[in-house]
Amino acid sequence: MATKLSLNHLNKSFGRGKTPPIEVVRDFSLEIRDLEFLAVIGPSGCGKSTLLRLIDGLIPADSGSIEMDGRDISDKVGGEGRGMVFQSFDLFPWRTTQANVEFGLEAKGVPKAERAPIAKKYIDLVGLTGFEDSYPHELSGGMQQRAGFARALAIHPEILLMDEPFGALDVQTRDILQNELLDIWQKEQKTVLFVTHSIEEAIYLADRIAVITPRPARVDRIIDVPFERPRREEIKSRPEFLEMRQEIWSILKEGVTV
Amino acid sequence: MTRSHILFLNLTGIALFLCLWEIAGRAMGPSLLAAPTVVVPEYIRLLMAGDMLRELAGSLRQMLVGFGLACIIGMPLGALMGRIRTIDLLVHPWVSMIVVTSAAALAPIFILMFGTGFEFRVAIVFVSSFGYVTLTAYHGARGIDPKMLDVGNAFSTGPVETYSKIILPALFPYLITGARLGLIHAIRAMVMAEMFVLVGYGGLIFQTGQDLSTAPLISYLVTLMAVSVGANMALGWAGRQIAPWYDSKMAAG
Repeated sequence: MATKLSLNHLNKSFGRGKTPPIEVVRDFSLEIRDLEFLAVIGPSGCGKSTLLRLIDGLIPADSGSIEMDGRDISDKVGGEGRGMVFQSFDLFPWRTTQANVEFGLEAKGVPKAERAPIAKKYIDLVGLTGFEDSYPHELSGGMQQRAGFARALAIHPEILLMDEPFGALDVQTRDILQNELLDIWQKEQKTVLFVTHSIEEAIYLADRIAVITPRPARVDRIIDVPFERPRREEIKSRPEFLEMRQEIWSILKEGVTV
Repeated sequence: MTRSHILFLNLTGIALFLCLWEIAGRAMGPSLLAAPTVVVPEYIRLLMAGDMLRELAGSLRQMLVGFGLACIIGMPLGALMGRIRTIDLLVHPWVSMIVVTSAAALAPIFILMFGTGFEFRVAIVFVSSFGYVTLTAYHGARGIDPKMLDVGNAFSTGPVETYSKIILPALFPYLITGARLGLIHAIRAMVMAEMFVLVGYGGLIFQTGQDLSTAPLISYLVTLMAVSVGANMALGWAGRQIAPWYDSKMAAG
């Protein structure tokens, strides 16, 4: 399968005044295949959010390169085929659902008359029909994140970057949104890079799982997830599922310091 | 507590205060403290005569010039101070000094500089409200959630769009709060400045202070309080009309 996004030897450290800089990402390489669902899993604080911010261009890498379909996008900030879904939703409180979803289109310079139907389409897709004119404070956390999805999808990204998008939600909402994400992913045909610290979530959603060990972040191994699609909740109780969960946990455990 | 419960307690508080005032007023006599039963007819008389409201309207018009200038200069300046460190370091000491300095102490030198007319009153009102408007905008700009700016970057907004579509709306609740604070101080400064030069509403209050009865004086004060409270509420209402998310934002932080 073709490579969608390749991360080549990324390095990133953060300076801390006079003390030596902390190396968060060292010589990090990873290839994301076209239209796959790749989960990146690691314990909290392992630098996986930093990694996603590097990929989205929100922070520059110290060295290394990022290529999408073979073209170098290392210096491109935001946009450029990448749609980001944030952990804390981060909708603009002064915009309605409709206006929040249109935001990325505005930034791309899409004329007003064209923005509205595109935004509406994705609002419907994520199940927020009827809440177009609501402000974020009038929506539940799950609904805010649906709007966050719609905002990222509306710019027709080639790859969706998701930074623990369900991390701030309760378990029931999380389960529902996981299934909806899978549906949307299959309908929209997107490459997804999904960062999470939940092993179960990674196995349930992903085609492949990159297990990251911390400080500095590096790929310990990549695990293929064999379960057929479309996936349903019952696979979570299969012996293979539990076995895989155990396997990943034992890798992660070595790197966890509490 | 229900709405009616709150209203009941509020009204009880006011009624208690009026009772105490009535008792004190009868004990001291109208030359020291006019009781409410004396003030009310006097108040109606002054309202009908029209001088009180005419003077007040004239004073408020001049006050609005000074307050408007404070907003026009203070809001962008505060926003820039909050976002650009060099500007902050350059002007912060001055803004802080203006805030802590009593406008009354500046009045004599302002009279020398501007005379006793329109410019003097505008200048006093300006320095009294400018600091509040500026510093509130400054704190708002400093406190803008970096995540909001991240969203802008993630969707590759340019610097102009980042300013107009993220920083300005994020600042809006702070601008309204700054304006409300500034307006209260502007009205106070207006009265104070006018008492120095004996014109307008402040002049009216000062001169009435020499009268035999305190009833007219108290009437003027009541009107002034009502106007201050009303103006403050009107700005809050305007904020909610322009930005329906205003309350939720202020409650959240």
